[in-house]
Amino acid sequence: MGSIKIFTKAECPKCPAAKEIGGILKQEGLRVNYYDLETPDGLAEAAFYSVLSTPTIIIEDEDERILAGWRGSIPTLQEIQGVIRA
Amino acid sequence: MVTVTDIRERQRDIAPGDTTDMALFVRTSEETMEGWDRQRIVDALMRETYIDPDTADAISQEVEDIIRGSTINMVTAPLVRELVDAKLVERGLEEIRKQHTRLGMPLYDVNQLIMHPNKENANVPHGPEATNLTLAETIKKEYALLHVFSQEVADAHMRGDIHLHDLGFIDRPYCSGQSLEYIKKFGLNLPNSISMAKPAKHPEVLLAHMVKFAAGLQSHFAGAIGWDAVNLFFAPYLVGMGDREVKQLAQMLIFEFSQQAVARGGQAIFTDLNLYWEVPKHFRNVPAIGPNGEFTGKTYNDYMKEAQRFAWALFDVYLEGDGAGRPFFFPKPLVHITENFFMTPDNERFLNHICDVASEKGNTYFVFDRGETAKISECCRLSFKLEASDLEDAKQPWKMRYSALQNVTLNLPRIGYISDGNDTKLFENISRFMELAVKAHLEKKTFLERLLALGEEGPLALLTMNQDGESYLRMHRATYLIGMVGLNEMVKVHTGQEMHESTEAFKLGLQVIAHMKLLAEKMSKHHEMRFVLEQTPAESTAYRFAKLDMRFHSPQAGHIVKGDIAQGEIFYTNSTYLSNDAVMNPIERVRQEGLFHPLIEAGSLTHIWLGESKPSPESLANFVTKTFQLTQNDQIAFSPEFTTCNECARTARGLMDRCAYCGSEDVDGITRITGYFTKISSWNKGKLGELRDRYRNEAFIKKRPDDAQVKIAV
Repeated sequence: MGSIKIFTKAECPKCPAAKEIGGILKQEGLRVNYYDLETPDGLAEAAFYSVLSTPTIIIEDEDERILAGWRGSIPTLQEIQGVIRA
Repeated sequence: MVTVTDIRERQRDIAPGDTTDMALFVRTSEETMEGWDRQRIVDALMRETYIDPDTADAISQEVEDIIRGSTINMVTAPLVRELVDAKLVERGLEEIRKQHTRLGMPLYDVNQLIMHPNKENANVPHGPEATNLTLAETIKKEYALLHVFSQEVADAHMRGDIHLHDLGFIDRPYCSGQSLEYIKKFGLNLPNSISMAKPAKHPEVLLAHMVKFAAGLQSHFAGAIGWDAVNLFFAPYLVGMGDREVKQLAQMLIFEFSQQAVARGGQAIFTDLNLYWEVPKHFRNVPAIGPNGEFTGKTYNDYMKEAQRFAWALFDVYLEGDGAGRPFFFPKPLVHITENFFMTPDNERFLNHICDVASEKGNTYFVFDRGETAKISECCRLSFKLEASDLEDAKQPWKMRYSALQNVTLNLPRIGYISDGNDTKLFENISRFMELAVKAHLEKKTFLERLLALGEEGPLALLTMNQDGESYLRMHRATYLIGMVGLNEMVKVHTGQEMHESTEAFKLGLQVIAHMKLLAEKMSKHHEMRFVLEQTPAESTAYRFAKLDMRFHSPQAGHIVKGDIAQGEIFYTNSTYLSNDAVMNPIERVRQEGLFHPLIEAGSLTHIWLGESKPSPESLANFVTKTFQLTQNDQIAFSPEFTTCNECARTARGLMDRCAYCGSEDVDGITRITGYFTKISSWNKGKLGELRDRYRNEAFIKKRPDDAQVKIAV
């Protein structure tokens, strides 16, 4: 499995929920990286993935190929797990 | 104008035989001859500086002694001033020397200027008006660096840490965007004008008002003059006109703007025409203004057909080119592509039409307004997203007047050289250079506010005219641009790789621009001003920075600058662009360069160098659609190359040594330098170096069978 990238901003109403999902996935042993769009590193990573809205969750495989992405919305835990198990 | 002065002084206490030699006359700057009077030195020092009277008197005495002790009998006023300045330096009175300094040019330089063309701006032709402009610019540059900006900022500019653009136009804002509605509603009523014109009744008169107003604006802004939704705002005047008449009007508009080489300094007005196929959402329900400046009782949504006919006719004219078949250099057409564009009837046909022009002549700029954003473009790549207050203004479109007050560009490779590969130092130095840029903006703003405060009596009376409750220049809506040159080379200095060579290198480039963007936002909040990033066109700055870095950072810079060092044709890659010589699929270039665009608020552009190839309109239309749908790219332009013959007045595709038709060697190459087309013979050395490096995307799109096979000769 590659990694899960979660892009958030401080003043974003749905972002805490995205972070919460990230926390659960991390507990399941998955590699989760958080990116804050108000930091240069986070904003640069967001630009690289053309992230224009928050929260955004992107799942990549080992070769950094995007398997799935949710932009400006939050998937259910099951949806993410479905992509990971596929 | 420098005066040559004959100074003679009557000296009673010298021997009679010496009287002739020592009898000096001064030719003053008022072009008069006056007798030598030491008190004039004291008066000038007291008037112009903060010196104390005793020191002023002592200096005047010492200068008089020098003149007495010399064999001079012909003295210039500048020489007297230089002698005084030397005495101030001897006393360590540096600040007073600065206050007392004289601005101007050496005789040799003036001679060079009058005899040879200026290559700093390829849009300045060579002629008496142009030399007037350059002479004035030279003095204003010196004035700006000595008087408007602090020494810290001026020195940073002189060293090449930053570049203060258009210093020769220090007493004007940078660029401007507006709506035709202003002159439709208020007519042409300019301060200092000897006559006032009421709102136009006929389309030709509206066009004349537009051109004259543009010339007036050119005299008050340093750079581009942009017009929003030109085809839409002309539309109420076109009702009932036949296709031939509409085409004639389109032809008049383009020729009027392209032949304005009689305006300021012999320069064509750098004009942008923003055009829409659909009626932009924010104008749909706006009451339309028609002949006599009166509301027509309809909204702009009712004029879509007329607006489309005009847009179509404009591109018919662009397709034909000028009398010699050359592309028009100005006005530049910027077509806004939105989601609604693709839902508007006949969009495919129109897209093919403007792509035909892009392929044939290269004029079309494709501006992508995705989502619900609306933009107004002002300069070659300068555009602004309309905010809530702007959309409110859109209900009264004459209020939509925007300006960037200044552009300051950072020398990013320089930051790389002084950061020794250390990340912390790199980002710290970027912050330091950004702070300098902000300081420069504050200083320019203060200076302009002083000029504007003089109102109708001041030099910027036109910008203070008030016809709708606020002055023409809306300072509260002004923007302050922070540009960048050589991101690609900075990344190479720091990582050893150019941005297209690895993901790590590319991501560092993104981090640098992200850092700059966040910093600009932070500084905007702090100063309650709008600092935004811009892709500087850098026609001469990319060359200037490279030259200065070769001087101060060799040998390292020798491995970094692009171009031919032996020929002096060196440059840095513009703004956030990937290297010009990187061999890559154009859609991939558009995609990758487009990843920077959301970070650059004031607008961005990707060039696709076509070289001599002439792709089909359909393939370009497909490219444009894909760019809109699949990338974040803000704006693209396709740039073909041409050779125009001065003998037979015909124009062929590609850059050639001789005319493809008559064989004459009296030819000019034409292609896009930065944000506009111009003759290559007027380019500076840095841009010539870049032209040689440009990777032409000739393979990616099929050539037409009638393409001339020509070799590149630049």
